[in-house]
Amino acid sequence: MKGNSVFLRDRVLPLFVWVFGLLVVWEAASWMLLHVAKAPLAQSKLPYVHEVISTLWNYGGTLLKEGSATFGNAGVGFLIGAAAGVVLAVLMSLSKTIEQLTFPYAVASQMIPILGLAPIIYGIVRDEQISRVIISGYITFFPVSLNMLRGLRSVDLSALELMHSYAAKPWAVYWKLRFPAALPGLFSGLKIAAPLAVTGAILVELMGAQHGIGVIMLRNLYYGPSNTYMFWSTVIVSALLGIVSYGLMTLIERLVAPWQPEFRPKGGSH
Amino acid sequence: MSLLATEIPEILLENVEMRYQTDTADVLALHNVSLDIAKGEFVSLLGPSGCGKTTLLRLMADLITPTGGNITVAGKSAREARLAQKYGIVFQSPVLYDWRKVKHNITLPLELLGVKKSIREDKAMELLELVGLQGFADKYPWQLSGGMQQRVAIARALSMEPEILLMDEPFSALDEFTRERLNEELLSVWSKVKSTIVFVTHSIPESIFLSDRVFVLSPHPGRLSAIVDIPLPRPRTAEMRNSPQFFELIARIRDSFEGV
Repeated sequence: MKGNSVFLRDRVLPLFVWVFGLLVVWEAASWMLLHVAKAPLAQSKLPYVHEVISTLWNYGGTLLKEGSATFGNAGVGFLIGAAAGVVLAVLMSLSKTIEQLTFPYAVASQMIPILGLAPIIYGIVRDEQISRVIISGYITFFPVSLNMLRGLRSVDLSALELMHSYAAKPWAVYWKLRFPAALPGLFSGLKIAAPLAVTGAILVELMGAQHGIGVIMLRNLYYGPSNTYMFWSTVIVSALLGIVSYGLMTLIERLVAPWQPEFRPKGGSH
Repeated sequence: MSLLATEIPEILLENVEMRYQTDTADVLALHNVSLDIAKGEFVSLLGPSGCGKTTLLRLMADLITPTGGNITVAGKSAREARLAQKYGIVFQSPVLYDWRKVKHNITLPLELLGVKKSIREDKAMELLELVGLQGFADKYPWQLSGGMQQRVAIARALSMEPEILLMDEPFSALDEFTRERLNEELLSVWSKVKSTIVFVTHSIPESIFLSDRVFVLSPHPGRLSAIVDIPLPRPRTAEMRNSPQFFELIARIRDSFEGV
């Protein structure tokens, strides 16, 4: 219980003060821009916080629906990309030949700009949902694979010799040693990839789609200043989707790999 | 120990030679080592760095293969002995798996052998009691001190009740006080499990206190330079470390090193 109140005091309270302070400064700056500086299109540059919040509230249903469409496709792509990344990492850890054959292409694939790739993919599959899934998976694949491979290779020699001394079968070495040892690496990859997968899905929507947060973002940008608050709302929702995806990975990591140094209570225990 | 030595040896090395090829040189790590260790005996491999004592232990464990000579462990080749789980090994560092609780680290070898879970849990509790770590079963390794972690490593090595326990400087990273206490605890554990123990160390007093016999190794090239019987009675007590006989043995072993 005591730890809980300390958590509230040391973590939640400062965060609350920061966010509140930032909003106040924003609101003041917005007012200055509009009434003091009399800047053209002042609200497009920095809208009133209260207007954006009220838009978020009034159009919450729409934003949530479109946001979920984006998040759902990004999630499916993320899962597929992550699975492919893990599989390739395992194959590369098993064989140097496979690594030499595939790794240069994996690196090269990341050099293609998503902005160029998205319309190509869309042109081929002609389906916005599948396009979003493919692009999200494509973005996820590389950081997951790279970090997973590093994790699999991070096992120290004596830990392997221990397995060898017990005459452990190769699958047991993977299952009981290499995989658990690779989890921290895997999760760094997943945490990098998750927000990118969301961004990737939104990017596809900007190329022309019927549903998704990117679609209303683009529309409201085109409709001009009258839709400024809605546009800002979509930007905020997009950011939230990224934050949620990252937070979700952190949460899962805590559940799956709780032994890591960063999750230990400070000051040690002995 | 002559009586034990006449029986079939538990570990037998005949003219063992170990060469390493490096980029620049051909290193002779062990030259013509022959020795035998009786069943139930506690021996130490003692020597300075570079004398090949750890190499010798790793050869017995079949973690490396000799470039010459023969190694017999429990009546089999070193490789067959490893595959038949004839030995448990304890390294210089505890090598505990961070993601496993203490009890699951201990039962890892049993898990690999496919032993049923209920039997594994019972064995873990029994071993924790043996090494004096009751109540730590559900802790993670990082929650334990260095000495406690090493005791977990010993418990793990004993989990499949091996005939032989191979220990590679297991206490060298610990402070002197912890080390002496763990020496006494190790002897008490040994008196219960009665396995053959091969103990690598660079500490002369440690080797004397623990062993029936001390194999003294000298470097460049690594070779066996003396075998010293330790006639101290058992059970050994902490006071024996201060006896004249103990100091005499220290002096004798110190004199037996060659070219250090």
